[in-house]
Order: sequence, then structure tokens, then C-alpha cells
Amino acid sequence: MSRYRFETHLANVILYGSVIATLVFFYIPIVTLVAFSLTESRFLTFPIEGFSLKWYSALFAEKNFLPALWGSLKLSFVVTILSTILGAAAAVAWMRFKFRFQRSFQVLAFTPLLFPQLMLGVVMLLWFSVLGNFFDFSMALWSAVLGHVVYITPFALIIIAVQIHGFDDTLEDAARDSGCSNWEVLREITIPILWPGIFSAGIFAFLLSWGNFYLTYSLAGTSRTLPTFVFSGIANGSSPIFPALATLTFIPALILVGLADFFRRRAAERLKSDTTET
Amino acid sequence: MRIKNMSWRHPALQIATLPLLTVLVLFFLIPFGMTVLLSFQVTKLYQVAWSWDLTTWKDVFSHSYYWVIMARTLKMALICVVLCVFLGLPVAYALVNRLPSMENHVKILIVFAFLADAILKTFGWVLFFDRSGVLNGFLEVLGFGPAASDILFTPTAAMIAMVYNLLPYTIFTIYLSMMRIDRDLIAASYDSGASKLRTFWEITLPLSKPGLLAGAVLVFVLGLGVFLEPKIMGGGTSPLAAELIRQTFETRVNWPLGAALTIVVIGIGALTLMFFGYLLIKTTKSQGGNT
Repeated sequence: MSRYRFETHLANVILYGSVIATLVFFYIPIVTLVAFSLTESRFLTFPIEGFSLKWYSALFAEKNFLPALWGSLKLSFVVTILSTILGAAAAVAWMRFKFRFQRSFQVLAFTPLLFPQLMLGVVMLLWFSVLGNFFDFSMALWSAVLGHVVYITPFALIIIAVQIHGFDDTLEDAARDSGCSNWEVLREITIPILWPGIFSAGIFAFLLSWGNFYLTYSLAGTSRTLPTFVFSGIANGSSPIFPALATLTFIPALILVGLADFFRRRAAERLKSDTTET
Repeated sequence: MRIKNMSWRHPALQIATLPLLTVLVLFFLIPFGMTVLLSFQVTKLYQVAWSWDLTTWKDVFSHSYYWVIMARTLKMALICVVLCVFLGLPVAYALVNRLPSMENHVKILIVFAFLADAILKTFGWVLFFDRSGVLNGFLEVLGFGPAASDILFTPTAAMIAMVYNLLPYTIFTIYLSMMRIDRDLIAASYDSGASKLRTFWEITLPLSKPGLLAGAVLVFVLGLGVFLEPKIMGGGTSPLAAELIRQTFETRVNWPLGAALTIVVIGIGALTLMFFGYLLIKTTKSQGGNT
């Protein structure tokens, strides 16, 4: 009995310990950045000397990060919409239809996920350069949009496919029986029920695009986004402006992740109360 | 849910698949095909000359320098896989079996850390490991003397950042396959007198193998392409394949060589993937036979 108890204790220590250690590990660089953004000194050394918000005001006084912020916003917004729509459509085909070459379609839709990102960027960079020589254009944000869409759509596809998995399609039959057209069924039944999945896929897509460095770096031409702006900034020597900028970009991400979870949980609760009522 | 049989002539199937197929063919398959073709050209005066010969490939296979880097990349990716699997396994197990009430909060914390900007997080690590950084600050307080750890700009630092960026993949794949394990199987194992360790070894671990392998493959492939971590954390002293390829394109402006090296890395990744895919199919089949 005591051996059994010892085993249980040991297992608990290892398991809880690993979760705590992992969380600490994950948050070391994030907390470090937030702490350094509040320093008074202009050197990023520890222990931090005094607390002030002066690097935030320095950041806003310089304003040279604004084009990068604007570029990031445009890029992530367009990518979110395109990836979510493409991913939702493909998820429906993946889960609800059976068709010839389905296996090939599934493999093709997933391969970008298994491609090292910098290689994906390089391969597309070569293609855009050849096209650019031929049709006389140069790469900018739009080519980065295409790169992001290729890479991020599989993520959106998985998340929406999971939502489709629990979908009750007799609801669609009922709507059709009561005289709805296909379009009305889609608008009134299918999309509202799948909405939590589509919504979290959208947030995931936005954040993946927002934080993406590799693809933007290869494909955006001379356009800047926040990650490439920070990369070139660090290469030229670090200043407390970058921790301040980092902290500011973490905040919208935190809000979006919390929001996504709130909607997911509310949808789950509603589903539970619906099933208990019927 | 019913699964509808569809012919390619059906408009619903066309609407659902053709947009994504078009994007993937135009911006993924064709570019990849073109990269393969490009590797058979040569470069003259920083311009690609379309000449169709094997000069570039002979170059790739005759320089041991490239293969030293490839071997180093392979080694780093494999070490990273082992670390991510062993660190991810207890976390995933604890999420499923020990933290039913905290599960969602822990998951959100991990997802947020995963989705935050990779380059900013890597920069955070630099500040942490710096000679006058946070870690050395703490070590000094603990009495180890000034600048006790000098880990930044070594391959170890690069590995820490790689594990940091890729660990969430194994946690989530293992978690997903552990979630699907039938609790009755575990109860049955306890009822027949098996210890916790034995139950874990004979029930939980074999049944979470698909998730383990999927996570391992993801980490391996993504690990082959890392660039930020060795560059920023490793200090660029021992470059990996991605850095080599970037230099070939940007500094040496030798596109055919860059294309060939890209194909070598993707080839190494694809071969490993096929091997693991074969293993995965074999184990799931034998499991299906047992239960």
C-alpha cells in the first residue's frame, strides 16, 4: 500500500511539476520583454533600474513603426478573411462529401503545413520573381498575402472540420422540408451553427499571420510588417523601444485569445442546454 | 452525419474545393515544380542562364561543406524532436488526467504563448540569457558570481529557443490523441491489478502513439527549416540549412544552387516523413487487430 502511495505521489509531482515548469518556460521571454519595456535605463541590463513609461512615449514620438503596424494590420486582415473562407469551404468538402481524388485533395491541402516555412517562402519567392520578370511587377504585401494564405489555410481547415464533426445535419433537412432554399439553409442554419468554429479559425488565422516572420520576410518585397521591422531593428542593436513595441503587440493577441475562448465556451454551454431540453 | 457521394460535376463540390485547389496549384505546386527545374540551370554574372545541365547538382554533391551543414541541421532537428516529445508527454498527460478544472486555463496560456510573435519571443530569450541579462542577474544574487552563465550565442541557446517554439506542437497532438482514449480501458487495467506505471506503459502510451508520431513529424519538419533561432540565439557561428539557403540567395545570388539546396532539405524531410508515415500505418493496423 505504501509503495502504491509513493508511486502516486511521485507521479503527481512529475505531472504537476511538468505543467508548472512548462508554463514558466513559455512565459520567461514574454515576462522578460514586458519587464524591460518599463526600464528607466537605456541599456537592456538586469537588474532593471527604475520603472518608467518613457520608452513607450519614445516609441510613439518616433512613429517609424507606424508603417509596419499598418502593413501588419492590412496583411493579417486580408489573410484572415481569405484563409477562413477557403478553409471553411474545404472543410465542408473534407468532412461531408465523398468524391474521386479526395485523398489527393486532402494530402495537397495539408502539405503546406509540413513544409519548412522558410523553404515555402523561398519556393514562392522564386516563382514570383519569374512572374515579375515576365509581367513586370515587383513583390509587395499582396505576395505575402498569398504566401500566408497557402500556409495558414490548413490550420483554419482543421479547426472548422472539428466543428463540422459535431454537426447535426437533420437540422438542414428540417429547414429544407419547411420550404427553405439552399441559400436560406446555408445562411440560417449551417453558418450560424458552424460559427464558433469559423470564428476561432479566424482568430487563429489572424494571430498566425500577425506573428509570422519567415513568409513575410521572403515575400513582402520592401513592405514592412511588425515582425520584419523588429528583426531589422534588433540586427542594428537593441534599444528599449523594442520591448515596449513587443508589449504593445502582445496585448491585442491576449484579448483575441480570451475572446475566442469566451465564444467557444458560450457555444458549448448553449449546445449542452439545447440537448438537455430536448 | 451522412457523407454525400459527389461527382466533380456537382456545383457544391466545385465551390467547396476549386478555390483552394486553384490557390494551391498556382502558388504551391507550380512554384515547387519550378524550383526543381531551376536547380538544373547555372548562374552567370548573377543572372540565371537557362542551360539544362547538372553543374549545380555536381557542385552540391562535391562540396562537403554543404553536407556538414545538412548533417548539423538533421542532428539539431532530431534532438529537438526527442526533447519536445519527452517534455510534451507529461504535460499532455497531466492536462487530460490531472487538471480537469484548470485544463482550459492552462490550454489558453499555452495557446497564447504559442501564437505570440516568434521573433519577439526570441528577442526576449536574448535579453534573458544575455551576459548582463536576467538569468545572470539571478545567478549573481544566488552567489554564483557575475556572468556565471555564458550560454547565449551557442548551439545550446539555439536549441532552447527551438524547443520553446516547437514544444506546443507535441503538447497539442499528444493531448488530442490522449483525449480520445476510452477511460474504461484504463479502469479495466486497474481492476485487473495493474499498477499506474504499468497501465501507462501498456494502455495509455500505445494508444497515444498516433499523436506522438504526428507531433514528432511536425517538429522534425519545422525544425529542419529554423532560421531565427540559430541566427539570433546561436549567434550565427554554426549555421543551419535555412541560413545557408538564405545566404545562397541573398549574398551569393546563386539561384540554381539555392533551389538545389532547398530541394535537398525538403527531400530529407520528405524521406523521414514517408518513413514515419509507414510506421504510423503499421502501428495503427496492428492496434486495430488487437482490440
